[in-house]
Amino acid sequence: MLELKGIYKWVNTGNNRIFLLKDVDLSVKPGEFISIMGPSGSGKSTLLNVIGMLDTFDQGEYNFLHESVHQLKVKQRSALYKQYIGFVFQAYHLIDELTVYENIETPLIYQNIKTSERKALVADVLDRFQIVGKKDLFPTQLSGGQQQLVGIARALIAKPKLLLADEPTGNLNSKQGEEIMSLFRELNREGMTIIQVTHSEKNAAYGSRIINLLDGMVAQ
Amino acid sequence: MIKNYFKIACRNLVKNKGYSVINIGGLAVGMAVAMLIGLWVYDELTFDTYHKNYDRIAQVMQHANFNGKTETQVANPALMGPELRNKYGSDFKYVVQSSWTGSHLLSIGDKHITKVGNFFEPDAPDMLTLKMLKGTRAGLKDPYSIMLSASAAESIFGKEDPINKTIKFDRSFDVKVTGVYEDLPDNTSFRELKIMMPWELWLIQNPWAKQMREPWGSNFSQTFVQIADNAAMQKVSARIKNAKLNNVSKEEAKYQWAVFLQPMRKWNLYNEFKNGVNTGGNIQYVWLFGIIGVFVLLLACINFMNLATARSEKRAREVGIRKAIGSLRWQLIKQFFAESYLVVLLAFVFSLIIVVMLLPLFNEIAGKKIGVPWANPLFWFFNLLFILITGLLSGSYPALYLSSFQPLEVLKGTYRVGKFASVPRKILVVTQFTVSVMLIIGTIIVYQQIQHAKNRPIGYTRNGLINLGMEPEIREHYETIRNELKNSGAIEEMAASNSPLTQVWNTNGGFEWEGKDPGMAVDFPNNTVSYEFGKTVNWKIKEGRDFSRDFATDSVAFIINESAADFLGFKDPVGKVLKWNGQPFTIIGIVNDIMQESPFYPIRPTVYHTSGYDNMYNLILKLNSQQNAKQSLSRIEQVWKKYTPNVPFDYKFVDEEFGSKFRAEERIGKLSSYFAILAIFISCLGLFGMASFVAEQRTKEIGIRKVLGASVVNLWRLLSTEFVVLVILSSIIAAPIAYYYLNSWLINYDYRIKISWQVFALAAVAALAITLITVSFQAIRAAIANPVRSLRTE
Repeated sequence: MLELKGIYKWVNTGNNRIFLLKDVDLSVKPGEFISIMGPSGSGKSTLLNVIGMLDTFDQGEYNFLHESVHQLKVKQRSALYKQYIGFVFQAYHLIDELTVYENIETPLIYQNIKTSERKALVADVLDRFQIVGKKDLFPTQLSGGQQQLVGIARALIAKPKLLLADEPTGNLNSKQGEEIMSLFRELNREGMTIIQVTHSEKNAAYGSRIINLLDGMVAQ
Repeated sequence: MIKNYFKIACRNLVKNKGYSVINIGGLAVGMAVAMLIGLWVYDELTFDTYHKNYDRIAQVMQHANFNGKTETQVANPALMGPELRNKYGSDFKYVVQSSWTGSHLLSIGDKHITKVGNFFEPDAPDMLTLKMLKGTRAGLKDPYSIMLSASAAESIFGKEDPINKTIKFDRSFDVKVTGVYEDLPDNTSFRELKIMMPWELWLIQNPWAKQMREPWGSNFSQTFVQIADNAAMQKVSARIKNAKLNNVSKEEAKYQWAVFLQPMRKWNLYNEFKNGVNTGGNIQYVWLFGIIGVFVLLLACINFMNLATARSEKRAREVGIRKAIGSLRWQLIKQFFAESYLVVLLAFVFSLIIVVMLLPLFNEIAGKKIGVPWANPLFWFFNLLFILITGLLSGSYPALYLSSFQPLEVLKGTYRVGKFASVPRKILVVTQFTVSVMLIIGTIIVYQQIQHAKNRPIGYTRNGLINLGMEPEIREHYETIRNELKNSGAIEEMAASNSPLTQVWNTNGGFEWEGKDPGMAVDFPNNTVSYEFGKTVNWKIKEGRDFSRDFATDSVAFIINESAADFLGFKDPVGKVLKWNGQPFTIIGIVNDIMQESPFYPIRPTVYHTSGYDNMYNLILKLNSQQNAKQSLSRIEQVWKKYTPNVPFDYKFVDEEFGSKFRAEERIGKLSSYFAILAIFISCLGLFGMASFVAEQRTKEIGIRKVLGASVVNLWRLLSTEFVVLVILSSIIAAPIAYYYLNSWLINYDYRIKISWQVFALAAVAALAITLITVSFQAIRAAIANPVRSLRTE
């Protein structure tokens, strides 16, 4: 599905070069559920963002579904991730001004999908996540767990091939966390490829493979 | 998608009520101002276009050399029309000789009504393309006819058909109504004319006009023409240059009369001449207000941009999310434009409401009768253009700026508006306040100039003076009436004079004196006054003495004003001889200059003499200061009605007539002060919004500082300093620009103020004070907030 080869990312401060990612190799097959772990500052989120094409890297190759991401222009890259990648954030990042329904609908709008089709798709997802009753509420009217549920629904609405989650349970209590994680497991079983960043061993255990990062390097 | 954009935009508006009010309100006020000014400019630019032949109509005017200076006048000899018709006939389609515009008494039975009108030659209705409601445009062919405007016809005859009805005209002639025309609209030069009479009738009414010794030497009428369809205005104008000079005597030729055509297109906007050059006129105000309109609108747009970018940190997260879930930049640009257009549309609706509400007031101030041209497609076309441009202007910066955020930075929370992000915002605030300060300075200077002219010595006492027209019966019983009024205690004194105190009706040439340059042609205002004129108006004799009934020789004596004394160049003028048309007059006194004309220009050398009452058309009465004016007036009316029962008692206070000399300037002063207030209001709205966002942005900083022991005053200073610096900078930029423009405005006036630096200081202080008040509200609110709460928001 995707392959990283010798990825480096650095920032220069004065004469020093600080490496955020150092010679990272990673290959992900379709249907995997990978957990990236590591202490604070080890580069977990940076790696996830590089994979999600939200961030760039300075050296190395990145192939995503037979496209060479490192050779793509910004526009092509955003077209690519728009189509294949869904994001889930620790802080949910729902748009406060939009209702649950509209938040979920927004990615479809950006993909120029027709209204009738949008309605059907959103209705499906609402139904599946059992939040039909909440569709007209605004994010601030929901609990954290519910907000994250909406966040996941929004990430999945455009039927991505890859779901990226940056500490999806970080802001939730343990019960809510468990619910989210079991949802992830269920999605994975249905064939969704998932990469999550997490601090918690317990959450990592939901995945099929664990990658440990330390100072920007994959620990063997 | 558009629907989605608007939905979000609406929610944003509702959610941030304060922000929306400032934004929409400010923009609506700005748009309303721009729209009012737009209507005004349109009105000015379409002046006189009511007449279909607008492009081919012209007034015959003359340049001449008076007292060594080139002056320009509209007055023409009555022979000008016939001359043009006979000798240059192929150049003209119509030539129309006309009288001055004056009031005339129309009587039907016991009903007496005064209406304003002109006497025209018969082609006038065709030339002016009058819209005839009844009768035809051929209505001025018979000398004893009259044409009425629709409003005049209604006020005289009500619902009756006026055609062929007979009216007693000025109590002396029976004239027949031959036509009724639609009233001329307010933005035409002939708007005042409610009645039109044949020029032939004027000649009958004024037989002296045909019996003059030198008919080419006296300018007492006007000439209008419409050039031939194939003729060119410039060429015809050049061709008729000597139309008068060819006909005048050698002595008269010294004035170097040069005839030319002033096209109707220029009557209103280019009405000023200096040294024989058409220097402009109202067009300068069209430009001035046009620029102000654009600026005020710009200020409002700047507010929008400023507030939008000031809120950028709040919106940044949303931009980040949208980009992370797949929005392209141009989609965000569209979204922000949708928001700005929604605001602009709402503001437009409000601005229409404001315009409709303010139009009556605006018309009053501007002296116009403008309506909103709802049915005019041009109006809507401009509005559409206006909305498009305003939306583009106000939406472009936020749209382009906000959409450029990098999603990752924003979402990680590491995003901070950069050090220089506020620079464009600061530039915008400086622009706003530069304009506001300039308008404040402008308003002060215009008022100073008006005040300056009002305080100018006028050479007489205006208090309690009234002016009345002199009817033949009054002239006949002059002495009796004077005694009767004086004895009744209604007046202190009464005088007759050729001109009213606030105008010059008569000027004469033909003066000779010792030491005069023989090649120079002079022209002095020459006022015929009764013996008591000086006493009535309380003029100040500087040297010599006043007219007196005790000296029989006073019928060949002049009293001259100071300017005349200077101009004549006598060392000791009293007792010297001034010849007028060969006849010697002795100068018996010098009076302080009496301001009869414009308060902004030098007073012309003027002579006063006394003779029979035949040449006196005005009565000046000094009301008894010991008695209630109302009582005195009713007493005067009683006496009046005794002698002229059929003439309305129509008096004018000299004070008011004097005040009307300032109307144009006062209008400009008032308009510019209102615009200044609006500009400041809009700028303050923006400032208020900005200050509140800055305070919000720095909430945490303020909390920390407070915990560390900062006082409210410290914090207030911290939050206000930035704005104060910007406003000071604006004042510094505004001063030279304002100086330049006001100086070139003041140059139009011969009698003018000097611009003092204090005005600039005052404007700067005013702007600063307003800024501080605006900003402090937010600053103090932020400063007195409980720090525990603000720190917890992290």
